[in-house]
Amino acid sequence: MKALEKLDSHLKTRLPDLNKAKEGHKIIGYSAGGYLPEELVLACDAIPICFIQAGNNAILRDAGAYICRWFDPFWRSQIGYLTSGKDPYYNIVDLIVVPITDNHVRAFSNTLGYYTPEVESFVFGVPHVKDKIALDYYLKGINRLKKKLEDFTGIEITDYRLKQSIKLCNRERELFREISLMRKSDDFAVDSKDFVALNHGSFIADKEIMIDILELFIQEIKDSSPLPKDDPRILFTGSTLVRGDSKVMGIIEDSSGAIVMEEFAEGIRPYWGKVKTDGYLMANLAESYFMDRICPGWFRPGTERLNYLVKLAKEYNTAGLIWYQLMYRESYKVESYFFPGILKKETGLPMLVLESEYDAMETGPMKTRIETFIETIRR
Amino acid sequence: MGNYYDELFKLCGFEDEEIKKERHRIEASFERLGIGPEDMDTADSWVRQNHDVSLEGVRKLLGAWLKELIDLVLAKDEGKKIVYFGFPAIIGPGLMLSASSEEVFVSAPDMVLDHTMGQIFNKLTPILEAGETNGLPQGHALCSLWQAKIGGIAKGMIPVPDLALASSYYCDMGSKADDLVNALYGVPIAYIDGVMDSKWGEYPKYLPERVHYLGAQINQALEKAEKILNIKIATDAWERSQKDSGPFRANLVKLVELMRADPVPISICELELLEALSGSSTGRGIREGIKAMEILLIELEKRVKAGMGVTKKGAPRVMVRLGHTSDPRVTRLIEDVGLAVPLTFILGSWGGVKVKPKGNYNTPGEVIADYEMTGGYYYGTEAQIKFYEKAIELMKLDGFIAQYLYNCRPVATISHAQKKYLEEKTGLPVLALEIDNFDSRAYSAASLRTKVETFAEMLKAKKQH
Repeated sequence: MKALEKLDSHLKTRLPDLNKAKEGHKIIGYSAGGYLPEELVLACDAIPICFIQAGNNAILRDAGAYICRWFDPFWRSQIGYLTSGKDPYYNIVDLIVVPITDNHVRAFSNTLGYYTPEVESFVFGVPHVKDKIALDYYLKGINRLKKKLEDFTGIEITDYRLKQSIKLCNRERELFREISLMRKSDDFAVDSKDFVALNHGSFIADKEIMIDILELFIQEIKDSSPLPKDDPRILFTGSTLVRGDSKVMGIIEDSSGAIVMEEFAEGIRPYWGKVKTDGYLMANLAESYFMDRICPGWFRPGTERLNYLVKLAKEYNTAGLIWYQLMYRESYKVESYFFPGILKKETGLPMLVLESEYDAMETGPMKTRIETFIETIRR
Repeated sequence: MGNYYDELFKLCGFEDEEIKKERHRIEASFERLGIGPEDMDTADSWVRQNHDVSLEGVRKLLGAWLKELIDLVLAKDEGKKIVYFGFPAIIGPGLMLSASSEEVFVSAPDMVLDHTMGQIFNKLTPILEAGETNGLPQGHALCSLWQAKIGGIAKGMIPVPDLALASSYYCDMGSKADDLVNALYGVPIAYIDGVMDSKWGEYPKYLPERVHYLGAQINQALEKAEKILNIKIATDAWERSQKDSGPFRANLVKLVELMRADPVPISICELELLEALSGSSTGRGIREGIKAMEILLIELEKRVKAGMGVTKKGAPRVMVRLGHTSDPRVTRLIEDVGLAVPLTFILGSWGGVKVKPKGNYNTPGEVIADYEMTGGYYYGTEAQIKFYEKAIELMKLDGFIAQYLYNCRPVATISHAQKKYLEEKTGLPVLALEIDNFDSRAYSAASLRTKVETFAEMLKAKKQH
């Protein structure tokens, strides 16, 4: 597809392009999780880059010099990339922003602050409950971030600038939504791998180019033949699905499973929301990014997300759910014990739980389990 | 007429009259816990092996834990409204609930099980296994305190609570495990949320919004507790709870003074019994603990005057994070290899190094939150590490055994940074020791001995030269 070729080509030159852009723009790196409103970065004429590379077990050895093994491998990967410089995007950014969600993210934030003090950084917290006081706390956090970005770039984030960037990001979310919704139908042509690749690309790509790519993709999809209908439709969920972590998706595809929805807290952009463009814009951002967004597993209670999964399973007419969690991410591990009962009761669907530490040795057992699961739900 | 458990209870500091008075409750709780005559020999030798029962204060501390256990097991039968909190936790809200109604029983049941079913009866393993088969499987670095709590409930040993206070300001696992208890037993939860989002290098400064947020969350949780428990929190509950637990803190300060002696007069295994009590009980356990401490302090003063101690005079002195909650052998091995432990993290934080709260807050929640920010434990990783650094102002030390708990993410964040930081800042050697502080099946004394022994030899050699 031309859209994907265009994305590939854009990403191939992204680093040299960013190097050139550094002459007139600040590059703001931020950690995954979807709690940093990119609108703020764009509004001060800076370039947002999200760190979403992982999936390679070797980088965990680099991280081992800074943190013990018992943290989520995605966040240990970030520690490894930060300290080793093996992800070139870490080397190009001018400022790193970390929205702190849980203790795994905090391990990364600590490493950033203690071991690499020469890297300018900014942290703000994301509460774990949804209520008015939590929303206020998040709003204060992003207001501090706004001030930091203004000071750092020397550009005031006016209402006009912010509104323009909100419109831009709304357009991107709208396009992702449109693509995603196509999969509700029986006759859909969107391959999950392509949808995920677009998502991952969007964390690094230039925003306007990305929007062009998404528009082109939609045009192409409308002219494409539908994917085979016989493959069992799968809801794919978990904490983290990032660039370079394609093992499980590959096995599902090889086993003739059709992923029709991906629900992940890290690595998939929250695209269901639309930020309002009237009134107090900062509050609108907080409302959309914090309150309206379906919460990740480390929110308590996790009921909102679990109910949402039940809803997705029904609306997308799925035959089963594959729950893919990373080792030691305890919030997801604990939920994976009691959610199958809820899912079964509400939908009658089975659930397969997979865990990974980005180790190649996992491939064989995972293949057996996924193949068996898909064969079971096919009948 | 006596019964099969009388000797054990006397060993654990019970008076004859107390046993007589408690007999019915002891037997009812033993039945629930599956403890019978066949367990007494093991318990007797386990207690004697692991604790210095020549000290009456130690025996009374063990008794305080047993009383907390009995109260916990029978709380539902005795018509109490039960509130569980996790460990560690900001204890203020629990103390306030406890101070507001005699009908309410507030406790950290996992710690009670560890200190009794673990330290006294050596019967914790089946409880942990029950936790593993009820949602918290082994091999995933999940909290073994939570395994004990879930296991205890699943086995019907401890009652299902009426409310859970979730420590969402610190532990992701604990709050999510509260969700598990809710899913399995329908227990309502009052989440106390907070975010440890201060940037490295900021401590002891913190943004006022951290206090406002955590404080508002505490206030909100207390309001929810009032509704669920159908009680009214007394306007002076905070002051009363502080007054009630004040003697405990005052005694810790005295204890720090005694621990300056060389040789150190008491083992860390006994210190652990009293330190943990302050973070686990809000009721009879803590009141009995205060009495036990008073006896213990007198005994230790005598020891110090007589030059008696648990290690040789001149032994290298190390600060450790904390003692093992269910198997004292793990902690004891530090002293067995010839190291004196005059200070722990908890002893230091309660009885020693202080950062003043900012003050100027009006609601109980904010007052508590402000206090906890300065305390360091719930501030973040940097504060925890700097607390060790400050400890050398409090006590002469030769090194640190800075344990980190592999299955406790908030503590595991310090795994590597603490060693580098402390060695650079203090010049003292640091052993960063990976442990499970609540379950000794995988991280046993035997498995840790080589590391600690080598460290001890190095410290001794350093001290001689």
